[in-house]
Amino acid sequence: MTKVNRLAEGRKKTLLDLVSGRRFRTGWKSFIILFFIIFVILPTVWILSYVVTDWSSIQTEVFDKPEIMQVITDAIIASFEIAIIVTVIDIIVGLPMAWIMVRKEFKGKQYLDTLIDMPLAVPTAALGFSCAIFWAVTPDKVNAPDFSLAFITSPFMLIILLHVVFSYPYMVRSLSAILEQIDQTYETAGRTLGASKFTAARTITLPLFRAGLVTGIILCLARSLSETGGTMIALSTMANAGTFETGPTIIGKWKALLSTNPDLAAPLAFVSILLIVISLVLLVVLKLMVMKVRLPAGKVWPKWERTLSRNWVPKLKDGSAIIFLFIFVLIPSFFIFSYVLVSPSAITEWGTFWNALIYSFIIAGIVTAIDIVLGVPMALYIARGHSLKFPQFLDVLVNVPLIVPTAALGYSLGVFWKGVPGIGSLDFVLIIMAHVAFTYPLVVRNVAGAVEEIDPSYEETARTLGAKPLQAFRRVLYPMIKASILAGAIMAFTRSLGETGATLAVVSSANTAPVYIVNLIKADQFYLAAMACIVLIIVSYIFMLALRYVTKRRTD
Amino acid sequence: MPTIRLENVSKHYGPTKAADRLSLEIMDGEYLCILGPTGAGKTTLLRILSGLTLPDSGKVFFDGADRTRAEPEERGASMLSQTYSLFPALTVSENILFGPAIRGMGEKDKDDTLNSMLDLVRLTERSDAYPKELSGGMMQRTALARALASGCDTLLLDEPLRALDARLRISLRYEIRDLAKSLGLTTIHVTHDQDEALVMADRIAIIRHGTILQVGTPNDVFDHPNSPFVANFVGQCNFFRGKVLSSGSITQVQCADGRSIEAGPSELKAGEEAVVAVKLGNTELTKEAKGYFSGTVERTLFEGKYIHVDVNVKDVGTISAKLPSWRLSKLAIGDQVDVRWNAARANVFPMPEGGLEQELKVE
Repeated sequence: MTKVNRLAEGRKKTLLDLVSGRRFRTGWKSFIILFFIIFVILPTVWILSYVVTDWSSIQTEVFDKPEIMQVITDAIIASFEIAIIVTVIDIIVGLPMAWIMVRKEFKGKQYLDTLIDMPLAVPTAALGFSCAIFWAVTPDKVNAPDFSLAFITSPFMLIILLHVVFSYPYMVRSLSAILEQIDQTYETAGRTLGASKFTAARTITLPLFRAGLVTGIILCLARSLSETGGTMIALSTMANAGTFETGPTIIGKWKALLSTNPDLAAPLAFVSILLIVISLVLLVVLKLMVMKVRLPAGKVWPKWERTLSRNWVPKLKDGSAIIFLFIFVLIPSFFIFSYVLVSPSAITEWGTFWNALIYSFIIAGIVTAIDIVLGVPMALYIARGHSLKFPQFLDVLVNVPLIVPTAALGYSLGVFWKGVPGIGSLDFVLIIMAHVAFTYPLVVRNVAGAVEEIDPSYEETARTLGAKPLQAFRRVLYPMIKASILAGAIMAFTRSLGETGATLAVVSSANTAPVYIVNLIKADQFYLAAMACIVLIIVSYIFMLALRYVTKRRTD
Repeated sequence: MPTIRLENVSKHYGPTKAADRLSLEIMDGEYLCILGPTGAGKTTLLRILSGLTLPDSGKVFFDGADRTRAEPEERGASMLSQTYSLFPALTVSENILFGPAIRGMGEKDKDDTLNSMLDLVRLTERSDAYPKELSGGMMQRTALARALASGCDTLLLDEPLRALDARLRISLRYEIRDLAKSLGLTTIHVTHDQDEALVMADRIAIIRHGTILQVGTPNDVFDHPNSPFVANFVGQCNFFRGKVLSSGSITQVQCADGRSIEAGPSELKAGEEAVVAVKLGNTELTKEAKGYFSGTVERTLFEGKYIHVDVNVKDVGTISAKLPSWRLSKLAIGDQVDVRWNAARANVFPMPEGGLEQELKVE
């Protein structure tokens, strides 16, 4: 009998002993996995089962009605066209910007760094209004400032311009993250062997970019395909948007009409299924393609490329990258501030807005709490078991809600829970569950990433020193991953706060802040909407500053 | 302090056998070194002892009680990992007090433990430093103090000296052994460095492909290896193949070219294929007397106290020897020398299945 055993025997069983038992741990682990499957994954893709259970109604309500079919194909095609064009633009303008951020040293770099992330602080609902009054021809009732550009008349163009604004930071961030990890000595070696700057960058560094490019492309596509609130607002703000719809906006619109027109259930399911399936297929194809496709790095045109590396060309490239950032990203994001300065104030009542904001805060708070309590153990399971088959599988599965357009996710989730007595009618609970589904992966990703970088020998040593699993986590691992938990939490919180599509798709009459703003615009209450947007921007900005502070401390 | 016994323990990772029906007994208060090449299953063995890895089959006994499935924190066995795993957010003192704090020790006792531990590893002055501010040796000592303070009675050391520079490594050898011995701990020390094992261990267990090949005192495994692999891994050897002519107190082996050589006692049958192993240090080169072979000096390497000499023998290949340095001046490249050894100090083994190359492979 060892000393330790004697010690342990003298004590009564405590709660800590109870939760440290192997049986309890297995139970808890199963609960975490079950939660993920039942509350996150299944509801997200539940709507796909509609194909099997209710194919006949899709047949009668979609395929037999050419006008419905037309609306659906137009919306889906528009959605994917926009997403692809936006992503291509992001790559073209994001690459030089990522290069500037990583490879150049200049005064004021940290300000540029902050500026790039700024659009992330603006909820997309606010962005939609801001972009629309900046770019688009608007009806007189909107009262857009005289100095706005106001020349875009095509809704398609406007939505592209809008989506570029909020997807651009994701692309720049993904690309610069990978660029930072690429050893610059390769390029230096290339240059000492006689390659010009441009040749070296193109043939040596660019092919190493694939991983970052995939991440960037996926994030941009997913964000563009998902976006609902901003798109809806932009379309209702501009003049003659006509019948233009994207996949998510049509879901929002039909969901609102569903109570009066139950026949729309089948088309709604069909749009959601299309969005989910095409996004997932696109994701898989992209992953395979980018890894397979070889960039033409073999051929070199020395004369040409030397010219491109010298004199005014690089300067022009850097200059345009920065000009693009200002004109296409930053000014449209914050143009809304000029609106409230110029337009006559027309405040009627703030009460409803504050109520909506508080409601949004409560939801975001509960959602974040659930994400942390159930997402952190999941992250630990994935990160610590990544040599095993099942955690690896979960690791892939966790990404699914990130890819699935949130409006489709929301509708699917609503259908999933509607059948469950007691839950189907609780709007508040439904909204929370929808928000958990798409924010949960953010926490899991963040924390799993951090845990994977920490040598497991810390916890193991703690165990051999006498710590129970919970104590080893609390005293050893937790201090090391605190920052990433917080970062994940802030991301989840702001995403929940700004989300429109999923909310509308589960509960069309929900009263969250972004939905409230959408409704204001639809009711032509532009001034109040703008003020509400600004409040939302400020609140989100404060959270983003907190996020930067937290993540900066982590890297120190 | 416990006596620890492993019984038929197996652990497979896919096709890799990290432990293959492994049995081993570690005595109460013993300092045992597990010696083996990289990938032999040393760390897996340690992890099974600590409870961090569950074996696929087999049992682990502490003092006769089956503890195979006991949690790591219930075994009183502290592990010291290669990188020490000092908790970066805690100071030296906080690291040392990790175990006592977890077990809910009183303030007074904690203070006493801390002071005696700091004293023991001579870190009293750096008690408020953070791990990243310490030198390699100090980190090592902090980790040791932390393990000792946890109240463990078994110490599991996973290549504890690997990350240190050569000189420090040698001085810490004695320090760790003395500390473990004076506290009467049962210690299992994993290493791939044969010198370290020879100097530090009460007994050495040589492991390969997840099985223990031989257990014995350092002297035992050095002078009486039970296989060509052990002979070569614990001190390098020259190997000679041949057929047994006669055995008994001296074994005579006939090499392929007809020359006959001698080795220590064996019970091999005449005509059997055999391998003779002679440690480099037991190989003598002489110009005055007749040896088993004669050849030409091909290369001499000065290693400080010793010289390493390669001699090329026709039809046999290169034979190496380690000689005292003073002989460097008497040996020039191209010299004719005879190779011989004291027959009692050479070991003879039956030819291993799969051939000699396969047997000696260190992967």
